[in-house]
Amino acid sequence: MSITILKAGFMSSVQDLGRWGYQQFGVPIGGAMDVVSASIANRICGNDDGEALLECTLHGVEILFNKTTLFAITGGGSSAIVNGQPVSFYKLIKVVAGSTLKLHPDPFGCRSYVAFAGGLKIEAELGSASTYTQSSIGGYHGKNLDAGIVLELKHQIHHLEKSKDIVINEHGFGTSNWKSKSFNLPHIKETTSINCLPGPEWDAFDEESQHQLFNTPFTVSAQSNRMGFRLVGPILSLKEKTEMVSTAVTRGIIQVTNQGNPIILMADAQTIGGYPRIGRVCSNDISLLAQCRPGQKIIFREVGGYATI
Amino acid sequence: MPLRLYPIHDQAITIEFSQEISEDANMHVIEMQHAIESNPFKGFIECVPAYGSLTVYFNDQVSALDVRAQLMNFYASQSENIKSGTTKNNKQTIIIPVCYDPVVGVDLPWVSNHLNLSEEEIISLHSAIAFRVFMIGFIPGFPYMGTLPQQLELPRKQTPSMKIPMGSVAIAGKQTGIYPTEVPGGWHVIGRTPLKMFDKTKEPCCFLKAGDLVQFKSISLEEFNQYS
Repeated sequence: MSITILKAGFMSSVQDLGRWGYQQFGVPIGGAMDVVSASIANRICGNDDGEALLECTLHGVEILFNKTTLFAITGGGSSAIVNGQPVSFYKLIKVVAGSTLKLHPDPFGCRSYVAFAGGLKIEAELGSASTYTQSSIGGYHGKNLDAGIVLELKHQIHHLEKSKDIVINEHGFGTSNWKSKSFNLPHIKETTSINCLPGPEWDAFDEESQHQLFNTPFTVSAQSNRMGFRLVGPILSLKEKTEMVSTAVTRGIIQVTNQGNPIILMADAQTIGGYPRIGRVCSNDISLLAQCRPGQKIIFREVGGYATI
Repeated sequence: MPLRLYPIHDQAITIEFSQEISEDANMHVIEMQHAIESNPFKGFIECVPAYGSLTVYFNDQVSALDVRAQLMNFYASQSENIKSGTTKNNKQTIIIPVCYDPVVGVDLPWVSNHLNLSEEEIISLHSAIAFRVFMIGFIPGFPYMGTLPQQLELPRKQTPSMKIPMGSVAIAGKQTGIYPTEVPGGWHVIGRTPLKMFDKTKEPCCFLKAGDLVQFKSISLEEFNQYS
């Protein structure tokens, strides 16, 4: 069983829930940017949450199914067209051999997850199938997907049994009569509110910067990637210039460069960093943040009664 | 006592011993890491040592408050060991061959000029004593080692080099490091090792780990070429 990538779109890669246990050697956790949507896609297929799947950024992807296949698509940034017909996200979809899935532009969200019943057949490297391109680890030879790549799927016999009630229509596909729920995806024109806490170096920032962090919208810059979201907005400054000794950082941390620009660290964040950390995004809101695309506005909302540890 | 404990994530707590680069503080960090790893608590995932801090990642089977209490216990039970120095420096020094020929140590002539030391003096200062691996980071397998003798201290490059070859041994500030893969970088390259610092197909994938002691051994260009 296999699929062929006909078009890779903006950026597509194989991901799972990340590579744990190697951070002390400088290997980032990585994995799906939006863990919630990735897990839901797998669950719809009857897989474990951590099965390898595709993360597609925005639209443009085209996939050819070489055999009858069960799959699901979640998240956002695109709408799905199967054999020329629109299909719903968050449903179990069955397609006959020779079918195609195309992702068209959509104003909600940024990343979609395509999971296959049984999962993608990808050899784990350092315990994970997640693609980390910087060091060519995991995924398809450590690289993002390109047109022409064939990805093998694990067996689906067991899953196909359970999907007998899905009726294949005249277009060669069928969908489940149920649909999974998820969180609301942000619209490209909307300012998304992201829950946030003061970070480890909060006190080192001047009062104006502290005020601005929680009261001014920031724009996700075009220089954002899987490592981090660079934000454009007010310049944040320290009370006095200090050199920090590097220490561990992780996704959700809002660090501020010497120029005063905040960067929110994301899935492929390096394990250790030396910039002062003004805030951290609540872990529950990282998936929502991962669905915000470059050009979109976000505003941090301070969460109280939380930082008690 | 640690200076402070603080979360960097709902499921990660940092224990900070020092805000400076000190070998003593780093020794605390590594002792604490060993204590936790040899007796992991429920929900423990992994430790990330840095210069003066240790960050502990855990899963949702345990609350952050419980982890905080656990970490204080670990510290209390370990602090005697640390003070008495029972586990101090009982490590073997790892020898790393380095070719300091300017063919591979491309910045050596510039560094020599800038520091007002001969190339031989730089090589001898860099390979005379064992350095401590403070942490691995920046990219997979990059060891931050120190402390360099004062005569070798110089700020990092104003403009980083676009491509630093794999195995390059470099210096900046009080630190020396080894580039495990070809990347852009701002440290001054004074040599190259034929050893592989990171190999995803090996277990462990990383040649060094935080707390290791490393001494460089000067080899000729011929010896370097024979390695590969």
